[in-house]
Amino acid sequence: MSNETLNAPSRLFAGRPTLKRDVIIAVAAVAALILLRVIWPSPAVTDFAIRVAAYAIFATSLNLLVGYAGMVSFGHGMFFGFGAYCFGLVMQRLALPIPLAILITVASTAVLALVIGAICIRLKDIYFSFITLAFQMLIYSLIIAWVPLTGGDQGLQGGIPRPPFLGINLANPLHLYVFAIVMLAVCLLIMRHIAESSFGYTLRMIRDNTDRASFLGINVYLVRLMAFVIAGVFAALGGVIMALFVSGAYPEFSNWTMSGEGIFMIMMGGISTFIGPTAGAIILSLLNDVVTRRTEHHGLALGIVILVFALGLKKGVTDFAADWWRARREGAVGKQAAEARS
Amino acid sequence: MDLNALGACLVSPSCLVTQTTSGLIIGLLLFLVAAGLTLIFGVLNVVNFAHGSFYMMGAYFAFTVYNVTGSYALAILGAALGVALFSVVFERFFMSRVYGGNVLMQLLVCYAFILILDDVVKIVWGPEFKSMGMPDYFRRPPLFIAGGVVPVFYLFLMGMTVLIGIGLWLIIGYTRFGKVVRAAAVNPQMVSALGINTGLVYASVFALGGLLAGLAGALAVPVRSLVSGMGFSILIESFIVTVIGGMGSIVGALVGAILVGMVRSYGSIGFPLFVEGLMFLLMAVILVLKPSGLFGKEA
Amino acid sequence: MLQVNKLSKSFGGVAAISDVTLGFPTGSLTAIIGPNGAGKSTFFNLISGGLVPDAGEVMLDGKNLVGRNRAEIIAAGIGRAFQIAKIFPSLTVEETLLGAIGAHQGHSANLWQRFPLPRTRDKVGHVAGMLGLADKMHVLSANLSHGDHKLLDIALALVLEPRVLLLDEPTAGMGPDERWRMIDRVYQLWETEKMTLVFIEHDMDIVFKIAPSIRVLCYGRVLAEGTPDEIRNSPQVIEAYLGTDHGANAA
Repeated sequence: MSNETLNAPSRLFAGRPTLKRDVIIAVAAVAALILLRVIWPSPAVTDFAIRVAAYAIFATSLNLLVGYAGMVSFGHGMFFGFGAYCFGLVMQRLALPIPLAILITVASTAVLALVIGAICIRLKDIYFSFITLAFQMLIYSLIIAWVPLTGGDQGLQGGIPRPPFLGINLANPLHLYVFAIVMLAVCLLIMRHIAESSFGYTLRMIRDNTDRASFLGINVYLVRLMAFVIAGVFAALGGVIMALFVSGAYPEFSNWTMSGEGIFMIMMGGISTFIGPTAGAIILSLLNDVVTRRTEHHGLALGIVILVFALGLKKGVTDFAADWWRARREGAVGKQAAEARS
Repeated sequence: MDLNALGACLVSPSCLVTQTTSGLIIGLLLFLVAAGLTLIFGVLNVVNFAHGSFYMMGAYFAFTVYNVTGSYALAILGAALGVALFSVVFERFFMSRVYGGNVLMQLLVCYAFILILDDVVKIVWGPEFKSMGMPDYFRRPPLFIAGGVVPVFYLFLMGMTVLIGIGLWLIIGYTRFGKVVRAAAVNPQMVSALGINTGLVYASVFALGGLLAGLAGALAVPVRSLVSGMGFSILIESFIVTVIGGMGSIVGALVGAILVGMVRSYGSIGFPLFVEGLMFLLMAVILVLKPSGLFGKEA
Repeated sequence: MLQVNKLSKSFGGVAAISDVTLGFPTGSLTAIIGPNGAGKSTFFNLISGGLVPDAGEVMLDGKNLVGRNRAEIIAAGIGRAFQIAKIFPSLTVEETLLGAIGAHQGHSANLWQRFPLPRTRDKVGHVAGMLGLADKMHVLSANLSHGDHKLLDIALALVLEPRVLLLDEPTAGMGPDERWRMIDRVYQLWETEKMTLVFIEHDMDIVFKIAPSIRVLCYGRVLAEGTPDEIRNSPQVIEAYLGTDHGANAA
């Protein structure tokens, strides 16, 4: 990773981020979003939020790899797609309760990510990126080719059954909305905790200077593999939400474009902050919505926006915010020091 | 999966001839595209993800010039020059701003261009499939070799790509330009310190790489249909080729391309739905056994 | 006691280190000198697990470290600082030390507990103080001065509680005053921590003033070893290395 993308840790509040504080923020956000839905029960807003939830989980998981661990995966979409298909197939064929199906999806993804990661992580730098792409396209090809299982390029047919569980009926849009929001909060909380754990700092050390990390006795391969599996599992959870939302699974979920959008979300939202990818998910979804409504030249518009961002801004939205905040605080500290001297 | 059909083909001379020629055509066209990609990577250390779009533009330029002038030769020339010019603009105004930065930024810039160009093509030429048809000169009865059908145009294609390949080899190996390019690939600071304008070198390498892709597009037009987004599958395949052959190696691009061409050709008989998957499997295997590719430099 | 026997390493036919046998008694302070390309950094690499030797042994208190992985060599007690400091630009000094100590204590894969673990805090102050970084704890490593980079690099070796500390050109890239301050600190470190310390150095004034024993490497071989006086008067060394230029060499 070049130094351009290494930004200083951005502390919004003084002191280290604690679990308690993160939980409070998460609970408040969930409450606010539920309140929003109650006040404004528009189906468009509901749909938007559920989609953003799926993408935000996906993008944040990708940033665990790219931003925190410095592992640039071009193929992360494969786990999003795999999660959607696995969940969909389990629900269609095994008629299990949803929580159990999710658990099975998580376990299967973990195994898949372990196997793929064990191979990919042996390679370094750009070759790691290439081979993740290769595996992703391999899985995409499998999905397209294995028609009896996956429905081929038509996607999973027949919809996903949603038996109610614990009084929650995911066929009901309001329930699905709350479920998605809560899942988002829970997934982000867990990923946040991992990012701020000792493990998370080991990832940063490996990213910043792999050599030194190994000279500190860190098992770089193993730690990277753990990160890869964790990121894969959360990407799959994003896929589960998407599958519930569209009541199916499509090959696009596992295509290169998915990985590309993931990269766009984290770059646009900001690599250096935890909440950056979520912001990116919101921005991308807004962009997609606005663009598809205003013009039929979707690609042209999106492409121009990406160019403006990549060549002009060069940093994510939250990266700017973090820089501004830090400059402001350093300015305040400087003022304090000057006042103390006078 | 249809292994019987594959087996039957392998013992039938006519099928062998047809499939091998087909594989060679695919492979040689891929070689041109991959050679451009690997050249750009070897010298600028940049993966040009927009390379497939250069191929697409070459095809559309050739299509238009042919429709306007009726001359296929002019069409090829027009495509080559047009794409070369475009590559220079792309490199100077866009890619050069993200050199040395995060590879993700480079990826985003290229991705943006793919999106833009795909839509531009739709706007200018229309979203439907287009076909140029065979130029009159090549409307002749095909050759029959061992019972297999070999269209005359295929021979032209093979000849042209071999010629271009030789030309490339001569340029890189024996001209001053080639020497500078090779030097810049190894030590750009030194080249710059010697007073050579590295910006010019980079732009011309991009032009050469783009030109190769554009030529491939123009050569493919008589036998392929044109549609927006056609660059993507070529991009992915040339990517596979350069990884298999080794990033930065033109010989590797040739070997890898022929390999991929054959896999595609014979694979589409035996594993019609999973041909793509086969190629990615091949790429993954090579990456595991020798990450730098068959002919690439060890990292 | 660190004993290196008949250590050899070649790269593509060129012998970087040939048949090097050297002993470093426990608690000793030794300088390794030699012209550029003599193989000094390679030597450090071979001892610390950065490279695998083609032949020879590296015996630390009787245990052969050759062939062991980096983690084992570090656990055995070899610590290393680099010619170009290998630090973590995006972490503050405090975070760097906390992270390193955490790694040393085996918490690097701990997902459950937030960073930093309380038990790592105590040691940080001690190490930071030893290297004069105590007032820079919250500075981002990327923003440190070059000299502080080198100090942090040494700190990263020290947190592992090494029995042998290898410093590769600790004064590299520094002006004359800073160089003496650095070497003074290194000397104090050696006196208080009583570890075996080996350092590579180009400045002859420093070497002759500070180091009780010196080893000279040239073209991958041991040219001479001994006290500063012995080295100063050794004809081979004078011919091969010192010439008439001693003292004028910066890194």
